[in-house]
Amino acid sequence: MTAALETRNLTKRYGRRTALSDCTLTVPAGRVVGLVGPNGAGKSTLLQLACGLLTPSDGDIRVLGERPLGGSPRVAFVAQDTPVYPGFTIAEHLRLGARLNPSWDAGYAERRIAALGLDPAQRAGALSGGQRAQLALTVAAAKRPELLILDEPVAALDPLARRGFLQALMELTAESEVSVIMSSHLIADLERTCDHLIVLRDSAVTVAADVDDLLATHHRLTGRRQDPAALSGGRAVIDQRHTGVQSTLVVRSTAPIDDPGWQVDRLDLEDIVLAYLTEGPR
Amino acid sequence: MIWLTWRQARVQALAAALILLAVLSAVAFTWPSLTDAARVSGFAACHGDCEAAAGEFSALVATRTAILVYYAGTALLLLLPALAGAFWGAPLVARELESGTFRMVWSQSVPARRWLAVKLAGVGGGVVLLAAATSTAMTVWAGQIDRAYANRVEPVIFAARGAVPVGYAALALVIGVLLGLLLRRSLPAMAVTLLVVATVQLAFPVTVRPLLADPVTTVSALDLSAESGLSLSVDERDGSVEALVDPGVTGSWVLGNRVLTAGGEEFTGPMDPTRCGLTAAHGACLAWLGEQGLRQEVRHVPAGRFWALQWREFGVLALLTGVLSGFCLLRTRRRNRGAEAALTAGAVVLPPAIPRGA
Repeated sequence: MTAALETRNLTKRYGRRTALSDCTLTVPAGRVVGLVGPNGAGKSTLLQLACGLLTPSDGDIRVLGERPLGGSPRVAFVAQDTPVYPGFTIAEHLRLGARLNPSWDAGYAERRIAALGLDPAQRAGALSGGQRAQLALTVAAAKRPELLILDEPVAALDPLARRGFLQALMELTAESEVSVIMSSHLIADLERTCDHLIVLRDSAVTVAADVDDLLATHHRLTGRRQDPAALSGGRAVIDQRHTGVQSTLVVRSTAPIDDPGWQVDRLDLEDIVLAYLTEGPR
Repeated sequence: MIWLTWRQARVQALAAALILLAVLSAVAFTWPSLTDAARVSGFAACHGDCEAAAGEFSALVATRTAILVYYAGTALLLLLPALAGAFWGAPLVARELESGTFRMVWSQSVPARRWLAVKLAGVGGGVVLLAAATSTAMTVWAGQIDRAYANRVEPVIFAARGAVPVGYAALALVIGVLLGLLLRRSLPAMAVTLLVVATVQLAFPVTVRPLLADPVTTVSALDLSAESGLSLSVDERDGSVEALVDPGVTGSWVLGNRVLTAGGEEFTGPMDPTRCGLTAAHGACLAWLGEQGLRQEVRHVPAGRFWALQWREFGVLALLTGVLSGFCLLRTRRRNRGAEAALTAGAVVLPPAIPRGA
């Protein structure tokens, strides 16, 4: 199966500043993929390269097996801060989508606006942040793309609007075969929405794995202070903290850990991601 | 795409329609009064030497509303390029770039380049229509006044008649679009557009138009009679002379007017002090000048060249418009160098690390 997104040594420079350097990654198709990383990791640049809004300075990028071109009917994009035209009504946004996309699904778009309880005659400038994000998602989804790319769609939303947006996104992925790539700072949100996670740090992929696998194979070990090298093979220490008497480790291990010297706890996704992001020199 | 262009430009289209309506009604309203003035003064029926009738007609028109329409219409045609560039051209792309909506609209199934091509064609078409209609109305309506003033080929009126206003308006629009693309902010783009368009309008008649005009140079014996308006100013210190004389051509755009010596040099004196000094006999100086074989050289563009020059200048402006449009289209793919900076500026930071190892 063709990957949704594949890059090799992808580099993007703005003048002398490098936003993304030598990035090589593969995003599987047919999944809801979360893209996480600190500011400046190059997430937005990577996603804009993927939908053809930017062109690479160097390296190779393939989206659904093709070089990304702006204006592709196969890829839809919800940009950061979900930009819409403040002077346009909701109905005019749908009309814009219909005029600019041959594959436009008008019935779907109208149903979604109705389900959200929005008045089509309302101007987009008067919408709340959450409603605006929902409108942007509707315009992107009604294009019926093969790949939907979302760049920090919920970053600026309050928790309730965030939940509503992610709910809508999950409904969309449940009812259609669309692949999704979504970047976010909010790892807890990704845990609920995504089934695959990619952690990007300084343009390099630190982790790329299914969310279920990540949760099943990462453990927090707490015990008497000791050298982590004492752990048996097949276990990788991701992060370690030591106080005078105690050691705390984040460990990746496929086998269950039954060493009586350690207290073993489950980790949530946020703990795991942060362990990877704090690992090694930053 | 055509619908979107219309939807986003409908306010400007309305403004254009109102401007056009105002021009056409002003022109229609004052037309009877203008033709009446031409008839009453005898200027309409006059052919050949009409200086007296022209003067009478001008004086009559100056007392009527028509003169306001004449000045307002001419001013509008001179200002239209700057207005089109700053208010229609500059925000066309800059507004999308600064509000981030380009990321929405350029990720529909229409490539950015085609989006810009349709927008340029649509808005450009509107600007061309407005300029063409206004200029045609003014050129026809002001025909008699222009004939009376005999200044149609002179720089100011030339740029407000015929085909040239259309060329300037289209060029200004594209200048605005390009500056919007480069500066990515509406307001700075509008300000710089005003500046650039004004510079082009001022520089063109001085630099390019004389090259296109192919001026005529006539050399004739200097007329020393009173009608020639000859005046000589003598510098007290070195006795050098500056000679000024009427060009002696009507309706022309005069580019150069010099008094030459018999040898073909510019005449700068000095004059014979015994015949032109304060103590010399009356008329002696004029006689001395007559003996010098002075000639007058006039470089000018005759009024008859008006339409040829109009089309040449229009062609140059249209060519420039085409080149800049092509540059805008080429530029669209590499336009948002500042986009990433704008993106990270408003971003949220990662949540603080949870306490661990406790």
